[in-house]
Amino acid sequence: MIAGIDFSLLTVEIFTAALGLGLLIINLIVPGNQRSATGYLTVLGLLGILLVTLSYEGVEKTFMDGMYIIDPFATFFKRLFLVAAILVTISSLPFVKKLGYNEGDFFSLLVFATLGMMVLVSAGELITLYLGLELMTISFYILVSFKKKDAKSCEAGIKYIILSAMSSALLLYGLSLVYGLTKTTIIEQIASTLAAGTMQPLMALGIIFLLAGFGFKISLVPFHMWAPDVYEGAPTPITAFLAVASKAAALAAFVRIFLIGFPAYQEYWITLVIVLSVLTMVLGNLVAIPQTNIKRLLAYSSISQAGYLLLGIVAFSSMGIGAILFFSIIYVFTNVGAFMVVVALSTSTGSHKIEDYSGLYRRAPLLAVVMLFCLLSLAGLPPLAGFVGKLYLFIAVIEKGYIWLALLAVLMSMVSVYYYLLVVKVMFLKEPPQNSGIIKVPNGLQIAMVFSLILIIVLGIYPKPLSDLAMSVAHTFFPFSF
Amino acid sequence: MLEQFTSIGIFIFVGLGFAVSSLLVAWIVRPKRPNPLKMSTYECGLETRGRTWIQFKVSYFLYALVFLVFDVEVVFLIPWAVEFLKLPWIAFIEMFIFIGILVVGLWYVWKEGALEWK
Repeated sequence: MIAGIDFSLLTVEIFTAALGLGLLIINLIVPGNQRSATGYLTVLGLLGILLVTLSYEGVEKTFMDGMYIIDPFATFFKRLFLVAAILVTISSLPFVKKLGYNEGDFFSLLVFATLGMMVLVSAGELITLYLGLELMTISFYILVSFKKKDAKSCEAGIKYIILSAMSSALLLYGLSLVYGLTKTTIIEQIASTLAAGTMQPLMALGIIFLLAGFGFKISLVPFHMWAPDVYEGAPTPITAFLAVASKAAALAAFVRIFLIGFPAYQEYWITLVIVLSVLTMVLGNLVAIPQTNIKRLLAYSSISQAGYLLLGIVAFSSMGIGAILFFSIIYVFTNVGAFMVVVALSTSTGSHKIEDYSGLYRRAPLLAVVMLFCLLSLAGLPPLAGFVGKLYLFIAVIEKGYIWLALLAVLMSMVSVYYYLLVVKVMFLKEPPQNSGIIKVPNGLQIAMVFSLILIIVLGIYPKPLSDLAMSVAHTFFPFSF
Repeated sequence: MLEQFTSIGIFIFVGLGFAVSSLLVAWIVRPKRPNPLKMSTYECGLETRGRTWIQFKVSYFLYALVFLVFDVEVVFLIPWAVEFLKLPWIAFIEMFIFIGILVVGLWYVWKEGALEWK
């Protein structure tokens, strides 16, 4: 059985694991004052792995009876995680340099979290999926509380551990109910077992538990309570990684389980997903308005973005999945871009209050411009990339006749424009505070920010290559549009 | 199928009956002379001095974790060792990779000073 595995298919995962371990070993050998250089090594390693994923173009294989799946869908998300991890590593360089302890561990854990996400999206079976999820979350527990002398960071860590443990328990309970009723943990076999029978009450319970468990990880209302506190307390680069990559990973696993595993019951769970999506969009956007801390504002904004992403699942078509893929990629650049500005500013001022952004345009024009474009893209204003992403999602649901849902989403986007523009107003129109100098931004961070900025604009004006890719991936993954 | 459960049922009833009857006999036979000391709730160990809500050293937790890791290693090693001759050669390499990863972990724990009681 062991000889039956084609290890070449696992190259990406094996390289990532080797990179994580290698960083740990280097951290043990290299003397303390030189350890922060491991960050550059991490960037190089992740870039190399990203190149390796290019050789996976169009590969669609499963092995060990469908336990592990390498398909365009998984590869697409793996690239997304790698890109996000590279951007996050670059933006955490100044943070780690200031940290003064365990520098190498930080990057090693970051890589292991990425590995967990990769396993999560490639898993074709419930236990493997859970394993990936836990590898990701346990790495995040440590990363969230990495500022061990900072009370807020520790509080965030504890909250994240407790609530994540609870959500994992819910998820496991749901998984065990599904296994109990179908006698298999392989997702494709679950689908074929369920296709024959009618809805059983226990199955409904299992699906609800799964929905709640994933709801926690994707931070959907009403399972979002942990998100603002954890996002606020965690080191900012980790907040970005948590908001972007871990959310995308959980969403991908959610899509795989529900669209491949339970299409037979779609009329039942789609109603629930619609309710969650509406709640998430409305609450996420409305609660974001009174926030005075930029990290909390971005936390609520990322909650509301998850609501938009759910629209793609509601559509239950290849168009919807394509829209999710497209939106997630854009979401990586816009959200990480915004968080990079927060990192750059907080390393020099140490503050996360929105009022401290006043006059940012005079003090650091690049930061202000990047923040402006990221926020406008998050709000979904044309001609930026976020607009195209939302457009695809809305078209996907309108195609299925949910016009009211699309209208609500548009309305909530209007609301989001308001609170994003509040930040913009502070940055551009208010006078900078007295005795504030020009803010210096590290070179690596500048390059990463400019890169994100260019992508946000280019993908907004010319989205065709990416949207073609997303749609073709979605079509091989879920070739239905009924 | 059902016959198999009958034996389990008999087992449960005999077990329960044994426990209940011995407690019952003891209750009938034993002398009853209660005093305050006897009536107090039994707890093992010595009586506590001072407040019990003290902070524990986190090192306990670290030791427990390290112990657990190597415990799990044994769980994986035993089936591997039992089936060793039937396994293809790649299983040998895989186990060494697994142990290698754990050794790196041990090295890390050692270097970080988690094995010292400070």
